Amino acid sequence: MAEQGGGKGEGDRAREEFLSEAQELVDGLGRDVLALDELSKAGRSDPELINDVFRAVHTLKGLSGLFGASMMSGLSHELEEVLDDLRLGRIELSQRVLDVVFRAVELYGLLLTVERGSGTDPSVDVEALLVALGDVSHRGRTGGASPVAQYELDPGLLGVLTEYEEHRLRTNIQNGMSLYKLRVQFPLATIDSALDELKAKARPFGEIITYLPTGGGSDADAIELEILIASKEDVERLRQGLGHAQLTIDEVPRRPMQARTSIPALAPSQRPSVPAFSPEPRTQALGELPRLAQSIAPPADRELSLRSVSQTVRVDIRKLDHLMNVVGELAIVRTELMAVADRLRGRAEMRPLMQELLRLHRSFERHLSQMQGGILEVRMVPLGQAFEKLARVVRQLSREHDKQVNLVITGAETELDKLIVEELSDPLMHMIRNALDHGIESQPDRIRAGKPPIGTIALNAFQKGNQVLLEVEDDGRGMDPKELAQVALRSGVLTADEARDISPRDALMLIFRPGFTTRTEATDLSGRGVGMDVVKTNIGKLGGVVEVSSEIGIGTKVTITLPITLAIISVLFVEVAGRTYAVPLSSVEEAIVYDARLTRAFEGREVMTVRGVTLPLCNLARLFGHTTSSPPPHRFVVVTSVGNRRVGFVVDGLIGQQDIVIKALGKTLRTTKGFAGATELGDQRVALVLDVGALVDEAFAAHDKAAELGRLPA
Amino acid sequence: MNALVKKKSTALAKRTTNDEKRTEYLAFVLAGDTYAVRIAVVGEILRPPPITEVPRAPSPIIGVVSVRGRLVTVMDLRRRFSLVESPLDSKSRILLVELAPDEHVGLIVDEVLSVYRLAESEIEAASVLGGEQPPYLVGVGRPRERKELVLVLLDLRAAIASS
Repeated sequence: MAEQGGGKGEGDRAREEFLSEAQELVDGLGRDVLALDELSKAGRSDPELINDVFRAVHTLKGLSGLFGASMMSGLSHELEEVLDDLRLGRIELSQRVLDVVFRAVELYGLLLTVERGSGTDPSVDVEALLVALGDVSHRGRTGGASPVAQYELDPGLLGVLTEYEEHRLRTNIQNGMSLYKLRVQFPLATIDSALDELKAKARPFGEIITYLPTGGGSDADAIELEILIASKEDVERLRQGLGHAQLTIDEVPRRPMQARTSIPALAPSQRPSVPAFSPEPRTQALGELPRLAQSIAPPADRELSLRSVSQTVRVDIRKLDHLMNVVGELAIVRTELMAVADRLRGRAEMRPLMQELLRLHRSFERHLSQMQGGILEVRMVPLGQAFEKLARVVRQLSREHDKQVNLVITGAETELDKLIVEELSDPLMHMIRNALDHGIESQPDRIRAGKPPIGTIALNAFQKGNQVLLEVEDDGRGMDPKELAQVALRSGVLTADEARDISPRDALMLIFRPGFTTRTEATDLSGRGVGMDVVKTNIGKLGGVVEVSSEIGIGTKVTITLPITLAIISVLFVEVAGRTYAVPLSSVEEAIVYDARLTRAFEGREVMTVRGVTLPLCNLARLFGHTTSSPPPHRFVVVTSVGNRRVGFVVDGLIGQQDIVIKALGKTLRTTKGFAGATELGDQRVALVLDVGALVDEAFAAHDKAAELGRLPA
Repeated sequence: MNALVKKKSTALAKRTTNDEKRTEYLAFVLAGDTYAVRIAVVGEILRPPPITEVPRAPSPIIGVVSVRGRLVTVMDLRRRFSLVESPLDSKSRILLVELAPDEHVGLIVDEVLSVYRLAESEIEAASVLGGEQPPYLVGVGRPRERKELVLVLLDLRAAIASS
């Protein structure tokens, strides 16, 4: 077989590099814009963050231009204009602006999918967004921009203005006055009267906005003041009119309006330390002022900023898979080495050689496990990557559908295998949409129910042993099991008898059935009857399980339980009728001795009493149709738990525990349930890895069926 | 000598141009009958490694094997064609067929015979077998070099897909 990617040209590789870099930039962009949104809700802003966003878009523009992604570069161009306006304080960070920027981030995602050769052509959306971008940009409006931004004023000076002074400054600028800076020395003894005198002299020409001691001055008995004055006169007329001996006048230059081509690369030290303004709307225009200093800063470090700052490399996950396979092969070599050592064991003359071999074997094993751990670590990424997209979706949906919702995220730092995180985005999206559409009530309903008007959707992630749990919890109306059963009856998912007898727990699980919907009309959000069954299937593919719990009027919680990694798992090897199977340890609670005296066949199902609790059993040999001539005298029960269901699997023997590389079964075995994959044993043999989730489901279904049969009159 | 070489090469050229288009087929035995498949679809011929049975798999699938770290599903064509099964022996082989990148299927055969280059005139349509034939039966090969041999030509991918 040809080496994967071996035949790819230089251009393809560069293009792939472009796509993954662009994706990374867009992801980062999404994060930053969300952070800006949070800040803006709190009435604040962060010039550094806006600069980051601006720079990312600028880089995207360059990249997409280079690779002929014209729609993307066009979008970047317009977006860059808006961000530049924002950065230079020409427009304010309003919800309207944020909405447009959010839409742009979404569109970038779409455009990248299109560039990858899938997805539908979003040119209509791009056109619409370009118009929206034009509307919010500085060019698209006449007023609204901060007038003070036109002047190159020292942020240190602006920072100490009183509210009244700011107001006067703005008014004067809006009335078309020019700004001047005066430096005057006054004798300390007479400063009060001298200043009054100057003010009186200045009045016919303009208005003194503020004055500050400069700390300079040549005389110890004198004080130098810097005075900011607004006047309609020119410098000469002003000088004559004021007629003071020790006085210099400079006009405050207007900022050239087209100074937007440079990317300021600001070191933190270059940031002006200016006291924060109060966030009252009245002073908002001036609140933008500290940002001015940044555009004044020369783009000295420009080349530096273009060089990659991070010490990271991007790696195709398939390469890591390949490395993991090599580690798997090495593990097999290790087993074989051990077998060689065992063969030497019986021979006295080989003793020193054998000990040497054992020593090497131990060292080999240690390094191998380090390598395995290292590769696994590289594959791990924080769940936050998937959560960011969700936060954007929630924001968008709650605005579109006029339901106020807070998304509370905990555990974004929880790490999972990259592949799992990627595959989680869509299922989580479905779940959140469902929570928003079906769970959270409308505001009037919430108020009537005595709930806080703003709904909460909590997204919690945490690690529990070898598994990661993800919860999507809403404080909405909850689900009524009886109502669900009725809906299932109406839509033909259940028969009348089934609907009558279904347990509340199983009724809740109905939402995962294909074709099940509680809505009579489909909405934009969900309710087309596809969704939750897809969620369950997708999570199942990842080796995870989905469960749901709900309380009427209080809310619904959907829990996903996932293995931490797909590549390497710890398993317990067991023997069933002479065959070897692997049970993932992540779902194994314990292994106990099978005791026939504690076992009852109860309405067709076998259960065992373990420490006073009833444990349903599943005989693997019987389930798999293996026939054994002689069952061993001692059998074992491997107790597994998936979610909150427990099943004991009856096996003939316990072989041992091992970390294995799990490989997927081919498509031809897709319809065969019960196996998560297979792994190589040392001797060219292959062992199947049980899909405990599926087998537990099956065991429960079989038990339910048995229970049903048991109820029927004979 | 030059003339001789020239004469020989012309003769060779003549033969190849005169020859009809030929396709290489790999002939093998299944339950006593000879079959052949286009050799292009066979990636590799293996001695059967230990096969791990997959419980509850569809009937033609007997299990999985590992071929240099790659997991391969093994099918028994005898089950597929409802032929008599016999245990694996020293002549048994597995034909490795690539269905898609990263998707391989192994097919158990009783014995691999040899490769035949069949011209189109040496291939009869499947209809000679009478009645309607399944899509994986693509014809009957009658190599001129061995007149007594009858090769049932199979489309392996179709045979796998229809199972």
